[in-house]
Amino acid sequence: MTVLQTLVDAVALGLLYALVAMGIGLVFGVMRLVNFAHGELLTAGAYALLLTNDMPLAVGLAACFGAVVALALAMEVVYRPLRTTTPTTMLVTTFAVSFLLQAVALLAFGARGRNVGVLSELNRAVSIGDLRVRWVTLVSIGVGALLLTATALVLARTDVGLQMRAAAMDATTAQLLGVRASTVIRFAFLLAAVVAAAATVLLTVQRPLVTPSYGFQLVIPALVGVVVGGLDRLVSATLGGFAIGFATAVLGDVLPADGRVFLDTALFLLVILVLLVRPGGLFGRTRAAWERV
Amino acid sequence: MRRLAELSGLVAPVLLLALVGVVGTFTSRSVQFQFRFALVMAAIVIALYVFVGSSGVVSFGHVSFVAVGGFAAGLTTVPEALKLSLSPDLFPVIASAEVGNAASLAIAAAVGGVFALIVGVPLMRLSGLSAGIATFAVLVITNNVLRNWEAIGPGARTLSLVPETTSFLQATVGVIAVAALAFLYQRSRWGRVLRASSDDPAAAQGAGVDIYRQRLLAFALSGALAGFAGGLLVHLLGSITTQQVYLDLAFLTLAMLVIGGFRSLWGAVVGALLVSGINSLLLTAERGLDLGIGEVTVPTGTRLVTLGAVMALILLFRPTGVTGGRELTLR
Amino acid sequence: MPDAMLQIRDLELRYAGVPAVRGLTLEVGRGEVVGLVGPNGAGKSSTLLAIMGMVPPYRGEILLEGRPLAGRKTEAIVRSGVALVPERRHIFPELTVEENLRLGLVGRRSRDGASDDLDRVAALFPVVRDARHRAAGVLSGGQQQQLAIARALVARPDLLLLDEPSLGLAPAVVDGVFEALAEVRAGGVTILLVEQRAQFAVGFADRTHVLANGELRLTLSPADAGDSERITAAYFGA
Ligand SMILES: Nc1ncnc2c1ncn2[C@@H]1O[C@H](COP(=O)(O)OP(=O)(O)OP(=O)(O)O)[C@@H](O)[C@H]1O
Ligand SMILES: [Mg+2]
Repeated sequence: MTVLQTLVDAVALGLLYALVAMGIGLVFGVMRLVNFAHGELLTAGAYALLLTNDMPLAVGLAACFGAVVALALAMEVVYRPLRTTTPTTMLVTTFAVSFLLQAVALLAFGARGRNVGVLSELNRAVSIGDLRVRWVTLVSIGVGALLLTATALVLARTDVGLQMRAAAMDATTAQLLGVRASTVIRFAFLLAAVVAAAATVLLTVQRPLVTPSYGFQLVIPALVGVVVGGLDRLVSATLGGFAIGFATAVLGDVLPADGRVFLDTALFLLVILVLLVRPGGLFGRTRAAWERV
Repeated sequence: MRRLAELSGLVAPVLLLALVGVVGTFTSRSVQFQFRFALVMAAIVIALYVFVGSSGVVSFGHVSFVAVGGFAAGLTTVPEALKLSLSPDLFPVIASAEVGNAASLAIAAAVGGVFALIVGVPLMRLSGLSAGIATFAVLVITNNVLRNWEAIGPGARTLSLVPETTSFLQATVGVIAVAALAFLYQRSRWGRVLRASSDDPAAAQGAGVDIYRQRLLAFALSGALAGFAGGLLVHLLGSITTQQVYLDLAFLTLAMLVIGGFRSLWGAVVGALLVSGINSLLLTAERGLDLGIGEVTVPTGTRLVTLGAVMALILLFRPTGVTGGRELTLR
Repeated sequence: MPDAMLQIRDLELRYAGVPAVRGLTLEVGRGEVVGLVGPNGAGKSSTLLAIMGMVPPYRGEILLEGRPLAGRKTEAIVRSGVALVPERRHIFPELTVEENLRLGLVGRRSRDGASDDLDRVAALFPVVRDARHRAAGVLSGGQQQQLAIARALVARPDLLLLDEPSLGLAPAVVDGVFEALAEVRAGGVTILLVEQRAQFAVGFADRTHVLANGELRLTLSPADAGDSERITAAYFGA
């Protein structure tokens, strides 16, 4: 049964990474911007949960979603001047914003990790046949799948979703039809924020220790997943996120104990291999346009 | 006259670096360290510039060349007994190697260059963001291996008691040498071809330029310079850990380059010195800044916030960098 | 002409300092059909993109119903009643035909009567109804052109800009497209029609200007449609 055990854990972690990856992909689609500071949305949500530790759950959740959405909308405003610059400058700027936000968190909360207690009862295990899984794993799988589906529906069914897809495929033509860049970009940040906030809640249950680099540590592998999957399409970016989470969990289980410290090496060698074989991404169809900087 | 005008692209950066070196010697001891540190940072940023500036491809990976260079120079200048006490499993060649300061810098450059060459052979086939992420992967792997493989270094422990030979003279001469090599490369046929091809890849391919080979050359050269700069760094600090040459430094040096203007040598130098300068100023302010009207102390931690904010603001409102990516020349 | 829909005065456009259009002055009256023809690189598409606010004028001005467009964003220009059928159609191949049409609705000033307009374009171009749920990319070239025009029409424009609707289409298919355009014109829509194959434009438009090397050379009337020598001379002569 250990195989199944590993698979369940891997799917849960994969879905969490997929949520983060999707947030990055949503913004990239409409703005061609890779937002390194996406991780700080998670960090903000986690600190919001921390500050409301002693309050009712509803207050905590509201604070978390509120903080994440507010920060995302602020980022959208800050990033406006970037719409006309080179990819290199964009990348380094979002990195600088991430650095700044981590420094602010350090100043406000200190370097020491602090424990978020929200929903910690979800860490109890449940037995299904021979399988013992924690509730949070099951909830992560359920909520993750739900959020991915909901986002897909929003993109498929609503007018603004259609405009987002159009802008991601061909920004110039969308603009010529009257699609407002600022509207779709703001909406992309909003969607990404809602998804990030939900991911934060699930994440803090599993990893309750919050530090200033909490989200950053997660966004790096997610971002790698996005590129490995294929940045040019939301589906491939999200799948890439899932794949990296899944691979991390599986590698962590199958690597021999003394080899486990080299997990990152194994993972990133895999990343390089994928990039070499399929530069447009594992799930992308062709060499993507953003290939050329 | 034309030659002179062309050379003037080197004169301005060299003069500025020399000025920092000379002015620094007249400051207090703790400030002196900041000045030398700024010069070493400039060396790292110029090394990075050699690749990024001419290829237009972002590299997060250069700090891994700084890391291997730093560890190589460190490990070849501390006594065998000390090395074995840190890490008993060290390969005998590494454990027994002991050379002088100059030779250790040469080794650092060689190790950095060879490592970059090996890594570059597969990686330089990539471009754009996938190249950026691949170099990032190199950074993570290098750090992970250095941290955990105790046959090649001290692992997660601090390598200390490295001779502190990066004096003002060594820092200044070292960084000027790096700048001169960067300049020579950018004036060379290869440097110009690569730059032209990054401006217009289609045209370059049409003209029969082998972009891959040109990129690989630039990558290896900039890897060697980064390794050398890593040597300067370890001889400045007197010690080194794997975490010092990881994400933070990678980001900081990349930010310095873009803030200065990543398309010119002048931009690389100005960016490195400007950000280092701001950082030192803030560091001093955290310790207490005497403004003549009594001491002003800012709370600990404000330095990073201010530094981050300043960098973000410059990038947002001067996206081509403070120099606009131009060389400072007579013309 | 008191009731001018579009006025272009002394327009100069540049790309990276190189002029693409020079001293262009032309007027399109309400309800008129004006043609703009010229060889490759004459500056036709650039002129249309300038009207849409995508290429900023280096000199000169563009007025819509007497009001200057300078400084207005594309999204605002679209909403004041201008629609472009871009060169090479630029439909969204991965979206369905229906979704492509829905994107046309974005530029409307109001959603009132949208479904009537959708019905009307469906009557004009049956393919947009018949292939509603198919990916637009699988349509034939002629069908894609029809979709692109339909997409522009559902925005209910007062001024329709067409960039080479005949591009890549067989002559018989082009005839079909122009028959549909005749109905659009009958509906009172003002049209500025860019064509490289002059014979299609000259016979259709009330007036046709010949643009070459960024400058206006000559104006032709429908009577000149058969006079291929004059057209050719204007294309390549001084
Ligand atoms: N985005 C651009 N950047 C630089 N130059 C451009 C750009 N677009 C057009 N040009 C140049 O401007 C000139 C006019 O181009 P334009 O596309 O307007 O011509 P056209 O009349 O539409 O030609 P065609 O019949 O081939 O479509 C050409 O010399 C072209 O090379
Ligand atoms: Mg054209």
